[in-house]
Amino acid sequence: MIDAFLHAAIVMTTPILLAAIGGLVNRIGGIVNIGLESMMLGGALIAVMVSAQTGSAGLAILAALVTGAVLGLLMSLVITRLSANEIIVGLGFSVATAGLVRFFLKSVYGVSGTYNPAGVAMLPPIDIPALHAAPVLGAIVSGQDALTWLAWALVPATAFALRRTRWGLRLRATGAAEATVRAVGLAPLTIRDASTVFAGALAGLAGAHLSIGVVGLFNEGISGGRGFIALAAFYFGRSSPWRTALGALLFGGFDAAQIRLQGHWIPAELLQALPYAIVIAVLTGLGLADRRAERSGRMG
Amino acid sequence: MMRALRPRVADGLGAAAPFVFALAIGAVVLFAAGFEPLSVYRLMIEEGFGGERRIAATLTASTPLLLTGLAAAIAFRSGVFNVGAEGCFYLGGLTAAVIGFSAPSWPSALVLGAGLGAAALIGGLWLLGPGLLRARLGVDEVVTTLMLNFIAVGITSWLVNGPLLARGSANSATPAIALNATLPRLLPPTTLHLGFAISLALVIAYGVWGRFTVGGFRSRLVGTNPRFARAVGIEPERVLVATMVVSGAVGGLAGAIHALGLVHRFVGGFSPGYGFTGIAIALLARNSALGVIVASILFGALSSAGASIQLFSNVPIEIVQILQGAVMVFATAKLGRLWRRAG
Amino acid sequence: MTPAPAVAVRIGARALTRRYGALVANDAIDLSVAPGTIHSIVGGNGAGKSTLMRILQGVDFPDAGTVVLNDEPVRLSGPADAFARGVGMVHQEFMLAPPLSLLENLILAREPVGAAGLIDWRKAEEEAGNLAALAGAAIDWRLKAADAPIHVRQILEILRLLYRGADVLILDEPTAVLAPAQIVELLKLMGKLRDEGRTILFISHKLDEVMKCSDAITVMRAGRVVARTTASDTNVDALARAMVGDHAPALLIESRERPSGTPLFSARALAARDPLGFERLGPVDLDIRAGEIVGVAAVGGNGQDELVACAAGILAPAAGSIRLGGEDLAGASTARFRAAGVGYVSADRAHEGLCLTASLADNFIAGRERDTAFSRLGFLRPANIRAAAARGLAGLSVRYGSVDDPASSLSGGNQQRLAIARELSRAPRLLVVSQPTRGVDIAGTAFIHNLIADFRDRGGAVLLVSESLDELLALSDRILCLFNGRISGELSRSEAGVETVGRLMLGRRAAA
Repeated sequence: MIDAFLHAAIVMTTPILLAAIGGLVNRIGGIVNIGLESMMLGGALIAVMVSAQTGSAGLAILAALVTGAVLGLLMSLVITRLSANEIIVGLGFSVATAGLVRFFLKSVYGVSGTYNPAGVAMLPPIDIPALHAAPVLGAIVSGQDALTWLAWALVPATAFALRRTRWGLRLRATGAAEATVRAVGLAPLTIRDASTVFAGALAGLAGAHLSIGVVGLFNEGISGGRGFIALAAFYFGRSSPWRTALGALLFGGFDAAQIRLQGHWIPAELLQALPYAIVIAVLTGLGLADRRAERSGRMG
Repeated sequence: MMRALRPRVADGLGAAAPFVFALAIGAVVLFAAGFEPLSVYRLMIEEGFGGERRIAATLTASTPLLLTGLAAAIAFRSGVFNVGAEGCFYLGGLTAAVIGFSAPSWPSALVLGAGLGAAALIGGLWLLGPGLLRARLGVDEVVTTLMLNFIAVGITSWLVNGPLLARGSANSATPAIALNATLPRLLPPTTLHLGFAISLALVIAYGVWGRFTVGGFRSRLVGTNPRFARAVGIEPERVLVATMVVSGAVGGLAGAIHALGLVHRFVGGFSPGYGFTGIAIALLARNSALGVIVASILFGALSSAGASIQLFSNVPIEIVQILQGAVMVFATAKLGRLWRRAG
Repeated sequence: MTPAPAVAVRIGARALTRRYGALVANDAIDLSVAPGTIHSIVGGNGAGKSTLMRILQGVDFPDAGTVVLNDEPVRLSGPADAFARGVGMVHQEFMLAPPLSLLENLILAREPVGAAGLIDWRKAEEEAGNLAALAGAAIDWRLKAADAPIHVRQILEILRLLYRGADVLILDEPTAVLAPAQIVELLKLMGKLRDEGRTILFISHKLDEVMKCSDAITVMRAGRVVARTTASDTNVDALARAMVGDHAPALLIESRERPSGTPLFSARALAARDPLGFERLGPVDLDIRAGEIVGVAAVGGNGQDELVACAAGILAPAAGSIRLGGEDLAGASTARFRAAGVGYVSADRAHEGLCLTASLADNFIAGRERDTAFSRLGFLRPANIRAAAARGLAGLSVRYGSVDDPASSLSGGNQQRLAIARELSRAPRLLVVSQPTRGVDIAGTAFIHNLIADFRDRGGAVLLVSESLDELLALSDRILCLFNGRISGELSRSEAGVETVGRLMLGRRAAA
C-alpha cells in the first residue's frame, strides 16, 4: 500500500519537476513562464502521435522536446522582442494552444478531446533488479522511466550549472540586471530566449511523460493544470533547484494521494488546490520575514 | 479638434492591431485545415452582427466580459496587476446561485439584490488578502491572485459536487434558481437580460468616475506614479487595497449576473476563462471605458458566432479559442517593432 | 602596456555634429586626445558633453563629421564595436548586477574557463587580486555588488574595463558620488593608469579636480568647443569664465539674522533606515525656526536622503520624534505631515516631484483635489482646477502651451519651477527641499533660489539638502554637516566656507 503510493508519488512528481526546473531557469533569466501548461499539452500530443507513427518512444520524446522548445521560443520572442507583458502572453498561449490542440484533433482525426491511436509505444520502465525487492526504496527507485531519472538528474545538474558555468552566471546576471549584461557586450534578450526554449523543452518532456509514460493516450485535459502546479513549485523553491524539487515532490505526492484517497478524508478538489494555497503561505512568510528584517534593522 | 482626435485614432488603430494579427493566425490555421478563411470570417461577422437576434446573442455573450474587463481595468488603472477576476467570478456565481434557489418566497427585487450584493461582497473579500499582502508586505499580487483562481475553482467545484449538488443531478450542478431570482429578459425570446444593462451602466459609471471624480484622479496618479502620489499626500497602499477589493467585487458581480441572468444555476466549469479574457480586454482598451465596451462586444461576437459556425460550416468551434488566445498574446505586444526592424 | 608609438590621436572627433530636432547638441566638434594622457572635458549642464561621449562610445551617431580612432576616421556600429577598438565607459549609473558578487560582476562575459567548460574561480580570483593591487584597493570579492560601498562599486567598474582589455576609459562625472578622500584616491588611480599608457577621458564640472589631474582640457559650452588648454596654461577662474561665458556667477542670497524663539520644526534622536534595513541616519537632533533656511551638506549616502524623507513624512523614522509647531508627528502619514504644514520638493523630479504624464493642471493641484475649490461632492471642478493652475504658472515665467499639456512637455528647469510652485501654493510652514537645481540652468537656478529665499523672508522655515556646496553657501542661514548619519558640525553662514564644510562632511574637525 505505502509502496504503491510512493511509486505513484514519484511518477506524478516527474512532470511537475521537469516543468518546474524549466520554469525555474526561465525565471532566473527574467521571465515568469505562465505558458508551461501549453507546452506540456503540445508535448503530450506530439509524443502520442510520433509514438504511434514510428513505434519509437525515443523519437516520441525527441519530438515532444522539440515541440515544447518551439512553443517556448515563440512565446519568448513575443515577450522579449515585442515587449509584451509576460503574464498575458502566457495566459494567451495557454488558451490558444488548448484551442489549437482540440481544433487539430477534430479536423485531422475527427475525434473530440481524446486521441487514442493503436500502437503507441510506451516509455519502458527501468527495473533495477537489485533493488526491486527492497522495501520502500525499491518502490521509489525501481520501475521508473527514463524521464523520471532525467528529472531528478537535472536537479543537481541545474544547481551546479547555475553556480559553476559561464552560462549559469550569464543567466543570473540577465535576470538581475539586463542593462549590465548589455553593457558588457552580451545579448540579454537572446539569453532570455534560450532560457524559455529550455523551459519549453522540459515542459514538452513533461507532457510526453504524461501521455506515453503514464496513460498511453492523449486527452485534452491530460496536463490537468500541472503547468501551473509547476509554477507553484518554482515559486515555492524560490531560486533553488533543490527547494523546487522538494515542492514538486510535495505536490506530486498530493496528486498521487488524491487518486488514492478517492475523496475520502479530504475532498479531491481541495487537495488539488492545496499547492496554490501553500505558495501563498510561503510568499506571505517570506514577506513577513523581509518586513521583520527591515523593522529590526541590519548591521550597516 | 482634429489635432486632438488624431492621437485617439492612432490609439484605436494600435488597439485593433492584435485583432488583425490574431485573424491572420486564425486564417493560417483555417487554411491548413482545409477551410476558406475569408468565407469563415464573413460567416462569423454575419453570425455575430447580422440581425437583431444575433446582435442580442452577441450582447448576451459580451455581458460577463464587460464586467471582468471592468474588474481588470479598475485594477490596472491603479497599477495593480490583478489577475484574480476568474476566481471571483466562480465564487460570485456560486454565491448568487445559492441565494437564488434558497429564497423562492422573497420578493424578486430583494432576492436579486441579496444575490448580487452577496456575490460582490464575497468577490471583494476574496481579493482583500492579496491587496493587503501587496500593500503591507510587498507580496507580488500577480502570483497570489493567480493562485487564488485555482483555489476558488477548487472550493466551488468541491461544493457543487458535494454539499450543494442538486438532488438527482449526475454531477457538478446546483439546483436551478427560483423564478424570482432570475434577471428579467430584455428582448424575449432572445437571452439578452437585464444583466447586460447593469454591466453597461457600470462600465459607463467607471468612465465617469475615472474622469470626473476625486477617486478617479487619485487612482490615476497612484497607477502612473505611486511615489508622486505619496509625496502629495495620497496613500498608495490605501488606494491599492481599495482597488483590489472593488475589482474583486466587480468580478464577483460578474459571476452573479452570469448565474442569475443566463445559466440560472451554478455548474462545474462555470467560466470558460471570462476572467482571463477580461484581462485581455482591459489591456486592449488601455483601461478606457469605451475601449472595454468595444472589446467586450468583439469578444462576445467571437464566442456567439463560434457556436453557430460549428453548426453551419463544421469549422470546429475551437477556432474561437485560438483567436481569443492569439489576441491575448498580442494584446500588449509592441507590434510596430516588426515594421521598424524590417525597415 | 606600451602605447602605439605612431599614433597622435588615440580618440577624438572631427567636425562632429549631432542635432536633436532644432537643438544642436554637438556643433562641429573637433577633439584630439593623445594616447597616454588624461584629457578632461568640462562644461555646464547642456554643454553637450554627454552627447559627445555617447557618440564616442557608439551609443549615438553623428549627423555629420566623424569619430576618430588612432588617427583614422571611423564609423562605429555600436558600443560593442567601440569596445572592440578598446574604448570603454563608466556611466554615472553603475552597470552592476546587484545580487551577483563583485567577482562575478568582474568576470561576467569574459569568464576564465577551465576544464569541462567550468568557470575557473581560482584563476578569476587571481586576476581580480592583481587588478585590486593595481588599484591599490582592498576589495572583498565575495561581497554582493548590492552590499558594496559606492566607491568600491565604482572602482569595480573601472577594473572591469581593464579586465576586459579597454585602453581608453571614458569616466562620466565619476567623482559626483565620492567623498573628498575617495576622490583623491580615484585621481591617483587615474594617474597610475595614465602612466601605464592608458588614455582617459575625464568628464567633470568640478574644476579643481580637473586642474589637479589633467594633461589637456577641452571646455564645451552650448554644444561647441570654446577652449582648448592645458592645466599649466590656465586656472580655475579662467576655466569657469570659459564654461559660463558672459553669464554672471551665481548670485548670493542675503543671509538673515538668526531668528530666535521656539523652533517650528524639531526632531529629537531621529534615526532612520534605508529600504534594505540598513541604519543610515541618526540619532540626530535638529531644530528649524520660522524664517530660517537650514542647509544640510553631506557626501551622497550619509543619511541626508533619509533625513529629507523623514522630515517630509515619506519615511517613518526607526526611532525619535518629529514635532511641527508643537504637533507630534511621530508615525503620522504623509497626508498628516502635509496637513500640518510641510511642503516637499523632491530631488527626483521625474518620479516623485511630478507626474510627468499628467497635465500641468493636475500636477499643480495634486494632493489638494479634495479642497472645495477643486471638487464638490467627490466630483472634480475642472474649470477651477485649470484656472488655479494658470494663475500659478503665470507667476513662474514658464512658457507652456496649455495647462492640459503633460508636465513632460516642460524643460527640466521649468518642471522644477512647477514642482516648487505647487508646494508653495499650499502655503506650507516648512519647506523640505532636496537638490532643487540639479540639472537646471543658471537662469532657472537663480529663479528657484529667489523663490526659496522669498518663502523664507515671508516667515517660512526651509530644510535644504544639496550636493552643490555653492548652492548651500548661497542660500543657507545655517549649515549642518552630516557624516555617517550624524551631525558632524554646524556652522553659521559667516563661518561656513568650502573648506570648513568639506572637512566636516568627512567627519573631521573644522580647522581652528
